[in-house]
Amino acid sequence: VESLSLMLLASAGSATIASLVVVATVVVRILRAMRTARLETRRARLEPLLFRTLDTGRTPRCLRRLKRRDTALLSQLVVELLGMLRGAQREHIVRLAADAGLVELDVRALASGNHLRRARAAENLGHYGGPEHAVVLGQLLDDPEEIVRAVVARSLSRIGTGEAAHALALKLTSPSEVTGLRMAENLERMGTGAVRSLVTLLDSVQHDDRRGQVLAARVLGNLRVADARPALRSAIQRRWNTDLRAQATLALGRIGHPDDVPPLLMAATDSAWPVRVQAANALGMIGDVSTVPLLRQLLHDPEWWVRESAGAALANLGDAGLQALADVVQAAGEQTRLHAASALEGRAVAERLGGAA
Amino acid sequence: VTPEELLRALTHLLLGYFLLVNALQLVLYAISFVEVSRYVGKDAFSSLPDLFASKYLQPVSVVVPAFNEAPTIADSVRSLLSLHYPLHEVVVVNDGSTDETLHVLRSEFELEESLQPLRGELPSAPVRRVYASATLPLLVIDKDNGGKSDALNAGVSAARYPLVCCIDADIVLEEDALLRIVRPMAESSEVVAVGGLVRVANGSYFERGRLVRAAAPKGLLAGIQVVEYLRAFVSTRTAWSRLNCLLIISGAFGLFRRADLIRAGGYATDTVGEDMEIATRMHRTLREAGERYRISFVPDPVAWTEAPATLSVLARQRDRWHRGLIETLSRHRRMVANPRYGTVGMLAMPYFVLFELFGPVLEIVGYVVLGAGVLTGSLHGGIVLAFLVATVGLGALPSVAAVFLEELRLTTYSSSRDLVRLLCCALVENLGYRQLTALWRVRAIGSYLRKDREWGVMDRQGFLSREDPVVR
Repeated sequence: VESLSLMLLASAGSATIASLVVVATVVVRILRAMRTARLETRRARLEPLLFRTLDTGRTPRCLRRLKRRDTALLSQLVVELLGMLRGAQREHIVRLAADAGLVELDVRALASGNHLRRARAAENLGHYGGPEHAVVLGQLLDDPEEIVRAVVARSLSRIGTGEAAHALALKLTSPSEVTGLRMAENLERMGTGAVRSLVTLLDSVQHDDRRGQVLAARVLGNLRVADARPALRSAIQRRWNTDLRAQATLALGRIGHPDDVPPLLMAATDSAWPVRVQAANALGMIGDVSTVPLLRQLLHDPEWWVRESAGAALANLGDAGLQALADVVQAAGEQTRLHAASALEGRAVAERLGGAA
Repeated sequence: VTPEELLRALTHLLLGYFLLVNALQLVLYAISFVEVSRYVGKDAFSSLPDLFASKYLQPVSVVVPAFNEAPTIADSVRSLLSLHYPLHEVVVVNDGSTDETLHVLRSEFELEESLQPLRGELPSAPVRRVYASATLPLLVIDKDNGGKSDALNAGVSAARYPLVCCIDADIVLEEDALLRIVRPMAESSEVVAVGGLVRVANGSYFERGRLVRAAAPKGLLAGIQVVEYLRAFVSTRTAWSRLNCLLIISGAFGLFRRADLIRAGGYATDTVGEDMEIATRMHRTLREAGERYRISFVPDPVAWTEAPATLSVLARQRDRWHRGLIETLSRHRRMVANPRYGTVGMLAMPYFVLFELFGPVLEIVGYVVLGAGVLTGSLHGGIVLAFLVATVGLGALPSVAAVFLEELRLTTYSSSRDLVRLLCCALVENLGYRQLTALWRVRAIGSYLRKDREWGVMDRQGFLSREDPVVR
């Protein structure tokens, strides 16, 4: 009897719980369908009010006294809309966000104990906040939650002021590789507004953090800003940091100013092969035919990657480069010849594809 | 002690064992529930388009071992080349195929022989030739046959980029699969490997190597495997990942930091469970080096694989999986209950030994004991019936809970009919299917003891497209 009651208890208990979970699963599906329908209704009520504001620039009075659940939906709609707007209409909607109390609510939510709420508030302020929020957002770059730091960095790049750039640039030197890369990404999104902070970081020769400077050089190269050239040229001279020399070399190539050819020619003779690879790439980007002899020499470099990059660079230097490659195919040893042939072939394929397009 | 008392004691012991297994599974489920919820909450801020536009995301080499894949390899490679990712290359390793795999690759992608040096950081069977495309980020390594692990090692050696994604040639990846699986590494430099969620493709619709609509299969066998995958991946691996003792990164879809994979010695070529072995070895290597690291799992629908549609193929697959489990646990037995290996040694390894390795044995013993009790009249029929109801109920609980979690957080299956179908599969899984798989797994212990190293042929029927009139 004892065994039977134990078994019955176990079977009844497990069967009941399993049945309850089945019912819960079905209920979840039903509730979701109902919630979606309700959301659609509320959305349909708020959207016309937003569109009216687009034209008139006046915030409807009813939007100033919204219920909490409608406030969250309004935030979402405003953010969606701001992604598509420019000019006066954008300003109207930003003003509406302030009038409807969204900005104030989000600033308060930045101190929330719930990290997703902090992230949401930071995201919203990036869209409809102003330069005055850069400082408070910058403080959240030290948030313990990765997702909050990521959202804050993105929001600062949207705000795009010098203060926002400074906050991001300071974090380039973070010991965390991921944080550094994330800051670099957002500084690049800011465009020219970030250049001053980046150049300052690159110029700080005494700075301990080498990775931060490498990232700064990389961002400046990607932004292709001529103002950064002196700082990058100076960075090429720093013998103690190979990564920085390589990155600054590539960055100068990306900027593509012909006056930078002499330092790049020096970089092409650097003792570190990664710097020589980037020098070949950079010279190929600038496209100065006077560099053909040097690139041709690099085709004989002992490092495979340098030879490969030199071949590709020559293929970008017009007739002079192609002629040099053709000469090498005829005359040089097998290793060098193959790189030259491969570059010529790549060029031919690219031209064929271009013609087809 | 009378035989009746012994039988009764055994019955109680088995019921206790079932209760313990289920209690542990529910704890793992609770952890997974919280983790999946957190993941979905974070996903709202993931901004995959931003990630896609990033120039700072580490580039990935996708390594695909291919053996006699001529009919599908061109489509697979095209689909991999078109994945949404800022910078990635595809490295196909032709593992001594005897069909036209290499010829198809060369002609479809206009490959030319390349002199690119291979670093050879991991040993593999001799490489015959390397082929590269002038216009596409595609490299093909043609080598002597050495098995899947050997091919993966050759591919990892040839990979240019710091992250390597090892996949099966016959899976379908969603367009943003790479972005999603790389995200844990982009968020933390401590993450050395990431496993992706693998789903059963049977019943779902695909076009040109892309998922069109997720649907539950109509067949019972495939339907039960959908639930089984949900339970194994979403409800269990997420929890192991949270506890940083994930022992398996599915061979179908896993991402590694190349340097750490090489440091651990690459894939073992003398096991049929290379995916579990490499994850366990990475744990071992990094724990012994005293490093801070994480091996993560992404509870996201990213890779689709075709599940066996017949019992014979399924039996071979489960036999191989269980042999792989035994090989790994036996090879790394010093980690079991060893505090030096932290949660891996004290939690995951003992769990796998007690419940994954010996669980099927105890289950089969339980059924035999019950049968003997009924035949000899030593056990009351009511007790036996109640015992069976209890085991079925307890067994069904993790499965229905997995479907509940899927419905609450992931919402992959949009049709209500699919949901009902999955719930039914979760309930009937314990009436025959579970017992069969337990039997196959017990048989696998015999295969292991006989030193059977066979991989077993996996017949596949291919993915469904919209026009396909046959629905499995």
